[in-house]
Amino acid sequence: MKLLTKTTLYFLLFMLPVFTAGAFYLFHKFNKEIKHETDEELVNDQLEWLRYLDTAHVDNPIFRFNTQEFQLIPTDKPVQKKYKLKGVHLYQETEDTQAPFRELSQVISIHGQNYQMVLRKSMIEKDDLLKNIIHVMLIAFAGLLCFVVVSNWLISRNVWRPFYRSLDKIRQLQLNKIETLDFPQTPTHEFNQLNEALTQMTARIHQDYINMKELTEDAAHEMQTPLAITQSKLELLLQDENLSEEQLKNIGQTSEELQRLSRLNHNLLLLAKIENQQYPFTERPDLHQVIAKYLSLFEELIREKELTIETSLVPTAPWPLHPALADIMISNLLGNAIKYNYTEGRIQITLTTNTFTISNTSNLPEIPPANVFQRFKKSDQGYSNSNGLGLAIVKKIGESYHIRISYQYRNGLHTFTASC
Amino acid sequence: MKVLIIEDEPSLRNSIREYLEHQGFICEVAADFREAMDKVTDYEYDCIVADIGLPLGSGLDIIRELKVLKSKAGIIIISAKDSLEDKLGGLELGADDYLTKPFHLSELNARINALLRRKNFDGNTSITFFEITIIPSSKTVLVHDKSITLTGKEYQLLLYFIANQHRVVTKSALAGHLWGDAYDQAGSYDFIYTHIKNLRKKMLEAGGEDYIKTVYGTGYRFG
Repeated sequence: MKLLTKTTLYFLLFMLPVFTAGAFYLFHKFNKEIKHETDEELVNDQLEWLRYLDTAHVDNPIFRFNTQEFQLIPTDKPVQKKYKLKGVHLYQETEDTQAPFRELSQVISIHGQNYQMVLRKSMIEKDDLLKNIIHVMLIAFAGLLCFVVVSNWLISRNVWRPFYRSLDKIRQLQLNKIETLDFPQTPTHEFNQLNEALTQMTARIHQDYINMKELTEDAAHEMQTPLAITQSKLELLLQDENLSEEQLKNIGQTSEELQRLSRLNHNLLLLAKIENQQYPFTERPDLHQVIAKYLSLFEELIREKELTIETSLVPTAPWPLHPALADIMISNLLGNAIKYNYTEGRIQITLTTNTFTISNTSNLPEIPPANVFQRFKKSDQGYSNSNGLGLAIVKKIGESYHIRISYQYRNGLHTFTASC
Repeated sequence: MKVLIIEDEPSLRNSIREYLEHQGFICEVAADFREAMDKVTDYEYDCIVADIGLPLGSGLDIIRELKVLKSKAGIIIISAKDSLEDKLGGLELGADDYLTKPFHLSELNARINALLRRKNFDGNTSITFFEITIIPSSKTVLVHDKSITLTGKEYQLLLYFIANQHRVVTKSALAGHLWGDAYDQAGSYDFIYTHIKNLRKKMLEAGGEDYIKTVYGTGYRFG
């Protein structure tokens, strides 16, 4: 959830009860005020009436009024000194509903005759008042909300800008270009602290990375020389005509193992270099040509295993790769498809402008997804020539050049797909 | 044929020297940059095998110097550095070939042979081994003056054997020579056997002798 969304939501969560409580309070307050005003009016009216009735004709023995607003009915009840005020509901014929009224009642004496006097005032505006209050509250609430969201957005856009700038920089961070990372000074103290911490952290990472890189490269290079010496000595040793078959075989095997070691060394160095993005691509190699090259290079291997190759290739497919890496990717995938195939098996190769798919039959079961691109995870079923780095290298090439590499197993076919 | 070996590691230098001398080259060695510079300015060589990382200087400067001197010597770089930039850098300066350490001595020897053929005779010469004659310019192989048809790989195999005659050549060296970096994809060297078998059969059918001896568990020896 974005920070802005979060603060807005929290704001709403807190404000909603406050607004509701406020609305209720206002409603009650208004209600009370209106009741009070109405009562005052009723008392005023009563005074007017009493004054009028005092001066009315005396020879008119009985007054009798009976309306909703005013009643004057003769009664035997004793005269009350004080009027009574209360709320009542009365039936309204015109609207066929009960309507709220305030009522003032008192037994008075006019010329010796007792009368029950009732004065009423409609409270019908109270309903409208409720509606009005809710209406006003809603408008105020919506307006305030809009204002908060907009101002929050404007403020956070400005305040958080340095943060997002730093975030972008970190996101685009490439280990080999880390030294050029520069966080500008911001007006916010906390962001300055953050940037400072980030600068220190990246500097440390960069230093560690440089040390590691140098160590890997130096170690690999330093290893090549003793390997070369041993290799040459063994080769010279092989030329000795007095060696027994057993000795020759031992030297041969040693030489073979040495080869494996040097290939491993070479591949680890290659992995490190791809990881370090030391292969920038300037030209886009045509993958179709690369495939054709390796199909002809592996021709004997294919014929040896009597494999059927089905191809569906577009004539040109320039891929965003370093040419050397395009070679490695294709040769590793095609090599695997041949190596792990059975005699008279099948290989299907499909190339479109942005996907390359290679499927092969094999006696091997499905590779567990967790293992497929991991280093040194190789099949147990005796392919001792493999060093378990081929697919890891392919995956690494994919990661470094935004090519998606995936593996699928369906109907006995192992399928690798690369798409850019 | 005179070859100068510039390599600071004494063991490797001596191995190369011993192997090449056995194949009939006259070898001289240089252990550091200054010694190498002295030798290339004072003497003429047919081929120079140079390491890049040398005490007192870089092998690349020796190549530059050779270009200034307009030397006709073929140049093969042997280096532990295997990155593309290193290779391109060396080749752009005018080296003829680039071999990464570790390498097979038989491969170095085959490359020197190929380089000398290209340099000295523009390929217009034939290589003879008893009744076998190879004319590299047309990739023709004659046995008892009768032309035989070989596949590309069989032809390369024969050339490799003749360059390294009387020496044990390992299967992995053969595989590396024929398939380059991709050969470790193969899974086994069985396929080499097929090529050897076919080559042997074609030579025998043309009335040649069987010069390819299998060395138990290791490789082959020619001659």
